[in-house]
Amino acid sequence: MEKFDAIVIGAGHAGCESALALARMGNKTLLLTISLDAVAFLACNPSIGGTAKGQLVSEIDALGGEMGIIADKTALQIRMLNRGKGPAVQSLRVQADKNAYHTEMKKVLESEKNLFLRQGEVVDISLNGDAKIITTSVGLKYSAKAVVFATGVYMESEIIIGKTREKTGPNGFKNSSGLSSSLKKLGLKMLRFKTGTPVRIHRRSVDFSVMEEQNGDENISGFSYMTKEKIQNKEKCYLTYTTPTTHEIIRKNLDKAPAISGEIVGAGPRYCPSIETKVVRFSDKERHQLFLEPEAENTEELYLQGFSTSMPADIQKEMVESVIGLQNAEIMRDAYAIEYDLIDPTELNPTLELKKVKGLFFAGQINGTSGYEEAGAQGIIAGINAGLYLAGKEMLVLKRSDAYIGVLIDDIVTKGTNEPYRMMTSRAEYRLLLRQDNADLRLTEIGRKVGLVSDERYKIFLEKKAKMKEIEEALNTKIKLDKRLVNFYKIHNESIPKESVRLRDMLKRVNINIFDIKEYFKIFDNYDYDLLEKVNINIKYEGYLKQQEEDIEKALANEKLTIPTDFCYENIKGLREEAKEKLAVIRPLNIGQASRISGVSPADIAVLSIYVKKFKKG
Amino acid sequence: MDCIVSISTPLGRGAISIVRMSGKDSLKVALKFFHSKSSDIKPRYMYFGKLEIEKETFEECLMVYFKAPFSYTGEDVVEFQIHGGVLLAQKVLEVCLTHGAKLAEAGEFSKRAFLNGKITLDKAEAIIGEINAESEGELNSSLKITNGVLAEKVKNEQEKLTNLLAEIEVSFDYPEYDYDEVVKGKILNVIGEIQKENLQIIEDSKSATYLKTGINVAIVGRANVGKSSVLNALLGENRAIVTDIEGTTRDSLKESFLHKGIKINLIDTAGIRETDDIVEKMGIERSLNSIDRADLVLFVRDGSENDTKNDEIIEKNLKNKHFLNLINKTDKKRILPKKENEIEISALTNKNIALLKDRIVEEIIGNNIDTNSLIITNERQLNILKNCNALMEEIISAKEQSVDVIAMLIKKLWNELGKITGNTENENIISLIFSKFCLGK
Repeated sequence: MEKFDAIVIGAGHAGCESALALARMGNKTLLLTISLDAVAFLACNPSIGGTAKGQLVSEIDALGGEMGIIADKTALQIRMLNRGKGPAVQSLRVQADKNAYHTEMKKVLESEKNLFLRQGEVVDISLNGDAKIITTSVGLKYSAKAVVFATGVYMESEIIIGKTREKTGPNGFKNSSGLSSSLKKLGLKMLRFKTGTPVRIHRRSVDFSVMEEQNGDENISGFSYMTKEKIQNKEKCYLTYTTPTTHEIIRKNLDKAPAISGEIVGAGPRYCPSIETKVVRFSDKERHQLFLEPEAENTEELYLQGFSTSMPADIQKEMVESVIGLQNAEIMRDAYAIEYDLIDPTELNPTLELKKVKGLFFAGQINGTSGYEEAGAQGIIAGINAGLYLAGKEMLVLKRSDAYIGVLIDDIVTKGTNEPYRMMTSRAEYRLLLRQDNADLRLTEIGRKVGLVSDERYKIFLEKKAKMKEIEEALNTKIKLDKRLVNFYKIHNESIPKESVRLRDMLKRVNINIFDIKEYFKIFDNYDYDLLEKVNINIKYEGYLKQQEEDIEKALANEKLTIPTDFCYENIKGLREEAKEKLAVIRPLNIGQASRISGVSPADIAVLSIYVKKFKKG
Repeated sequence: MDCIVSISTPLGRGAISIVRMSGKDSLKVALKFFHSKSSDIKPRYMYFGKLEIEKETFEECLMVYFKAPFSYTGEDVVEFQIHGGVLLAQKVLEVCLTHGAKLAEAGEFSKRAFLNGKITLDKAEAIIGEINAESEGELNSSLKITNGVLAEKVKNEQEKLTNLLAEIEVSFDYPEYDYDEVVKGKILNVIGEIQKENLQIIEDSKSATYLKTGINVAIVGRANVGKSSVLNALLGENRAIVTDIEGTTRDSLKESFLHKGIKINLIDTAGIRETDDIVEKMGIERSLNSIDRADLVLFVRDGSENDTKNDEIIEKNLKNKHFLNLINKTDKKRILPKKENEIEISALTNKNIALLKDRIVEEIIGNNIDTNSLIITNERQLNILKNCNALMEEIISAKEQSVDVIAMLIKKLWNELGKITGNTENENIISLIFSKFCLGK
C-alpha cells in the first residue's frame, strides 16, 4: 500500500486547486481522477468568471491558485461586466478555450514536483486511526492522513434525456459508484441534486446574419496579475432568441419533460432553470434570449447558453430548429440533465473539514455548490487547510468581510442549501470592500503566510503596493487656484473652488476621476490603468468604504465571541427548542455564525451570548 | 462610547421618573449636560442640579453616581431623578442619546449585571424570559392591537424595498438579461414614498403618545379677557378629574378633563402685558414658558373691546406653535374687528364651548380618532424609524453616486426596517429575484 501525505479525489476545478495547494505547501500529494481526459474539464459553459464569480477567480489568484492564470492563458474573449454600475459589482468574464484549459491545467499538475496525477476510480474509504485508506476500482490501496473529496457531480450520477436514463458522468465519462455509500457509512447526511447542460451545435449550420454580435472589451487585463499582457479577443459570441413556435413545441411536449413530469427528483437550481421550466414559469414572456458561445478555437462546436433541457432528443431537435438563425442547426451533442449524490454541507466546519472525521475535507459540487469558480474557491481552501492540518497548524477561515470565498463557505456550512449554490454579488454584505480590483490587497498576504504565494508573485504584489502609495502621495499635491484650475472644473461641470486644492480633494467631486486629472495635469504617466483605477476607487468611495468598515467592526464583536466546541445547548433555559436543535447540528464556531443560522432568532442569540460569556468566565 | 441608557420607571405614571445610564463612560456623558454647584461628584451621594435638555433650557433634577463595581450592573451607573411625565422623561433620554449614550436593549441592564456577577443564575433565567417576552412580543400576539398596526405598515415599507432591491440586484447579477433596468429616478421615487409613510408613522405615534399623556393646552391672553372663565367653561361638570400639580414651579395651574377619551391638560397663565413690576414680570415669563411647553395654545381675546395692544408680544411667541384664536365675550356686541380663523365663544353662555373641545382634539390628533389605527411605538421602535429616516436622507443625497453605493444604502435601510418586522434574511431578496425574473443558462 502506497503512502502519501494527502490524497485528493477528483481532478475537476476543486480537486486541481486542492492538489496544487497541498503539493506547493510541501506535501506528497496523490491526485486521483476517473479519467485523465476529464482533468479541469469545463463540462458546461465555456467561460470563467462573471458577476461575483470573477471576484472568486481573482481571490483564488491572490491566494496563489491557478484558475486565473489558466483562464487568462486560454481566453478567447474578455469582458468587464457591469461597467456603469460602480466598482463593487464589476466582474470579469472570459470565454475560455475548453480544450486548452484542460491541457494547460494538466500540464501544470504534471510539472508540480510533489504532485502525482493518476487515473483511478475511488470506490471506498476506510479509517484506520489517523490514516485514511482509499481503495480504487482495480483494487489498489493508498493511505494518507488527509483526504480531500472533490468528486463533482460524479457520485452515482445519471444522465437524463427524455425517457433515457444512463448511469454515467458528464459528457459520457464514467461515473463513480460505491464511494457515495462509503460516505454514508461514515454517518454523513447525503443529498441528491440535479443540474444540466444545453446542446452543442456545429458552427457551419448557424445563420449568424440574423443574430446580434457580442464583442469583447478591448485593452483589459486578465484575472491574474501574473499575466503581464492584456487579453486579446479572438472570438465572438452571438445573441439570439426563442420564438413562439419554440414555446409551442415545449408546451405540447411537457408530458415528456422529466423535470416537469416528476421523473427527476433531484433539486434543480432556481437560477439555472431548463428552457421548459422557463416557458412554464414565465408564460407571459414572448421570447427568451439565448447566447451562442465558442467552445474552443480548434473545434466547430458552439454552446447554446440559455437552452438547458432534458427533453427527448428528437424534441430537442425540433425546439432548436425553431430558434432564430438555427433553422438548419446541426446538433453535435444533446442537452441533458444530470442527477448526482452529494453531502449536506452542514456536515462541514468553515474550514471545509468534516465535523465527524478529522482530516477529511470536501470541496466543490460535492458540497452542493455549482460553478467552476465556486469549486476552485473551495478547492484552494480545502487544500490549504488539509496542508495546515498535516502541519499541525491552525486552519484558515476567511471571514465574510475578507472575501467572497468567506461568504460562500460560511453560507453553505451555516445554512446548508437545497439547490446547487451559485455565488452572487447580492449574497455579499460587504461587497463595496470585496471588489475584484482589490482581491490581491485583501488576500495575498494570507496566501504568502500559508506558503502558496511564490517569491515572484509576492515581489510583484509589493511593487504594486509601493506604486499605489506613490500615487496616493502624489495626490496630496496642492494645485493653486488659477485659470488652469478654474478651467478644469468648468470642463467637468463642477463648481469652482475658492482656494487652492489638493488633487485628492478633486477626486471627491462626482464628475472628476483620476484619469481626468492624469490627462489634464499631465501626471501619472508612468502608472498603468489598473493601479490608477484602484487608487481612484479608494479615494472616491472613501466615505462609503468607511461605513462598511464600521459595519464590519460592529459585527466583529460577535465573530470574536467564540463558542467552545464542547458547548452543550441542551441545558440552556430560554433557548427555543428549534434553536437548540439547529445549533446542536451546525455547531457554529462563534456567535456571529450562530446568528446566521436560519431558525435562530435575535432573542436566541441574546440568550446564547449571555451563556457563552458566562461559560468562558467559568 | 460605552454607555447605555433607558427610562427605568414605568411610562406616564408616578410623580418622578428615573433615567438610568450604565457603562464606563456614564459619568462622562452625564456631565456633558448635568450642571450642579458641586465640582466633584462623589459616588453614592445625591446631587441637586440642572439638566440642559435643550439649548439654554434647564430642568431641575437629582443625580446619583454609583461607581463600579458597587452598582446594579457592576459598572459605573448614573441615575437622574426628574419630574414625572412621559414627555420630560423622553426628552432627558434623548439628551443622553445625543451625548453619546446608546439605547439599552431589552434586558440589557440585567444582562450586564449577570455578566459582571452581580446577580445569580436564577435571576438571570427570569431575565432571559423577559428578553424573550419582549422581542417576541413585539412580533407576536401580546401587543397585537397596538404593535400590529406598526408591524403591518413597516412590513409594507420593507416589501416595497425588497421589490426595489430585487430589481437592482438582478441587474448586478444578471447584467445580460433582458428586463427593464431600474433607473435612479425610480429608486428615488420609491424612497420618497417610503419616507413619506415613515414620517407619517412617526407623526402618528406622537398622536398615540397623547393618548397616554394627554394634550397640554395653555390658555394665554392679556389680563381680563376671561381666561379663567374659559378654563372653567371647558372644565364644566368634569371638574372631578382635576389634578393639581402646584409646587412644580412650572405652571401656575394645571387642571384636566376628558374629551372623546383623551385627557386634556389645561394650563391657565398670568395675563401678558408690558410691565416694570418685577413680580408681575416673573409671572409673565412663566406664561411665555407655558406657551413653549404646550402642545396647543388657546389665544384668548375680548371681542367686546377694540384693544389690541400687547397682542404683538403674544403673537411673537406663537410662531411655530399650534394655536387657536378665541374671541371671548361674544354674548356682547362685537367691537374687535373680525379676522380669519377665529372661533367665537362665550364662556358665560357656553357658546361654542363644545365645538372648541372638538377643535382642541382635532388640532392635535386629527379628525378621526380611531384608537385602533394609532400606532404606539416604544422608544426602540421610534429610534429605528428615525434611523431609517436619516438613511433615506442619505440615499437621496447620494443620488449622484454609482448604483452599487445606492444599493448598499438601500440594503442598510432594509436591514434597519427588518429590526421591526423580523425579516432580516437576505435569502428573501434572492428568492424574489428568482421568482420575479427569468434567468439562467
